[in-house]
Amino acid sequence: MKTINEVMAIASGAWQLLRMRVVYVLILCVLVLIGTAYRYDVLSLGQHKALMVDVSLMLNTLAAILVAISVTFEISRELREGVASTLLSKPLGRTHYLIGKLVGISIAGIVVTGLITAGFCVIFSSAFDDAGIGQTMLMGHLLIMASVIPMSALAVMFSVLVPESIAAIATVIVIWFAHSTPAVDKIAVLYGGILPDLNLFNLKAEAAYNIASISWVYLALALLWGIIYSVFATSLASLVFSFRDLK
Amino acid sequence: MDNIIEIKGLTKYYGSLFWKKKKPSLYDLNLTIPDGAIFGFLGPNGAGKTTTIKILMNLIKQSSGEALILGCPPDNVEVKRLIGFLPDAPAFSPYLSATEFLNICAKLFGIPSDIRKTRIAEVLETVRMTRHAKSKLGGFSRGMTQRIGIAQAILNNPRLLILDEPLVGLDPHGRQELKDIILDQKARGTSVFFCSHILSDAEKICDRIGILCESRLLCSGRLDELLSETGSKLHVNPGHDDIAKDMLSAATETIKRPDGGWELSFSNKTEITQTLLAVKEKHGDAVAITSSRESLEDFFFRKIENATKPS
Repeated sequence: MKTINEVMAIASGAWQLLRMRVVYVLILCVLVLIGTAYRYDVLSLGQHKALMVDVSLMLNTLAAILVAISVTFEISRELREGVASTLLSKPLGRTHYLIGKLVGISIAGIVVTGLITAGFCVIFSSAFDDAGIGQTMLMGHLLIMASVIPMSALAVMFSVLVPESIAAIATVIVIWFAHSTPAVDKIAVLYGGILPDLNLFNLKAEAAYNIASISWVYLALALLWGIIYSVFATSLASLVFSFRDLK
Repeated sequence: MDNIIEIKGLTKYYGSLFWKKKKPSLYDLNLTIPDGAIFGFLGPNGAGKTTTIKILMNLIKQSSGEALILGCPPDNVEVKRLIGFLPDAPAFSPYLSATEFLNICAKLFGIPSDIRKTRIAEVLETVRMTRHAKSKLGGFSRGMTQRIGIAQAILNNPRLLILDEPLVGLDPHGRQELKDIILDQKARGTSVFFCSHILSDAEKICDRIGILCESRLLCSGRLDELLSETGSKLHVNPGHDDIAKDMLSAATETIKRPDGGWELSFSNKTEITQTLLAVKEKHGDAVAITSSRESLEDFFFRKIENATKPS
């Protein structure tokens, strides 16, 4: 119980991101962009319904990545300015500090992607009276919400492993590679091992054309995989962090 | 527990390149601080004071040696429930208000939720920051940040308070308030370990000091034992100028007080002590004799000068 309180105390500092007005401006911009896809019926040769689903999933993924990499800036700043030292002078283990950051930013990411998902559902239902929200469509958005967890774990790991100046860049590069890049997907150890297999959370094609029925079991297994990968990444970060001298 | 801090052979080298000889930031520090003391850890910049504190708080690892804080090694997380710590340049999350930040600290200390709000209000009142309780920490000045730093350090009613340069950034009024807080903490049974450059303040509140220079401890002990008697002072009451004039030639320093009295300083020689005692016997209550003691500042500079003098 004590451990949970400590982790949640640090997490409550991390989800302060949700108080920033810019986050809601970003969400509004995303929803406006999703809404404009409705006007592309001629240009998309009548495929504007699929286009809207695809755009919504793509923008939701981008929002999730932005939230995840924000933690690299936050942890780096806290280490540089000595905020982390002040917190770690309290009865708080270094691992708990990192887990707290991971939990906090994951919650913030899930809230942001959740709001985009809800906004998309409202826009899609209003735009296409005849079409309901398909399960695959919804599943695609739920998987993006779940992908926030391994992406945040990657960001936490890089903010501890590499210098501050390249932590965010390294995180973005790895997330980009981890989204099914042909160059690495043949190397089993690297892809889905050292790098997370973020393609597990990518249902853009299936959702846009409603071509496959994805079960809830798949969602649960992908989420479980994301959590297991996050445990691995956080453990590695914690091991390195435990030997690090703090400012 | 007799000693609140015990340090044996503590050495810290910061990483350097393989072909370069490493210079220690702290070398073979041996120090014992008894329970209930206000210990002033003094030394010039780069002497190793902050390094020592960071090792005690487990923020950095020592290269060799051993440190015990409240009888436990610094990496014991639970012992930190009994410690309050103010870093040398306190920094907090700029998006949080003072109350929110202290609430996070209170949760980390495990302060029960029913008393958390009251305790936060108490410490904010102690550091005179109640009216800024809802303000964002990002907008605070250096002095205000320092006050919040002190508030978070005393939040848990610590058994040991570790303060790194606590007087920096505070105005004269704030410095006096902090000295009062430190003395109040001592009265509650808290031991205080602090570093400072402000020797006059350290002299007023410390009962023990340690002086660190170039990574090595030069001396440590009770302040009244370390500061040697340098001579005697003769205080002459107003209206007795003739007594003062008789002694002027032997005095090393003479001060005419605004009330018309005199204060004459003499070096500590046996013959002058005899003369002063004779004056006292002859003039009774018109004069008073006190011993003059070396100031901490003089003692500090003497020690540093001796340590840095080329051999």
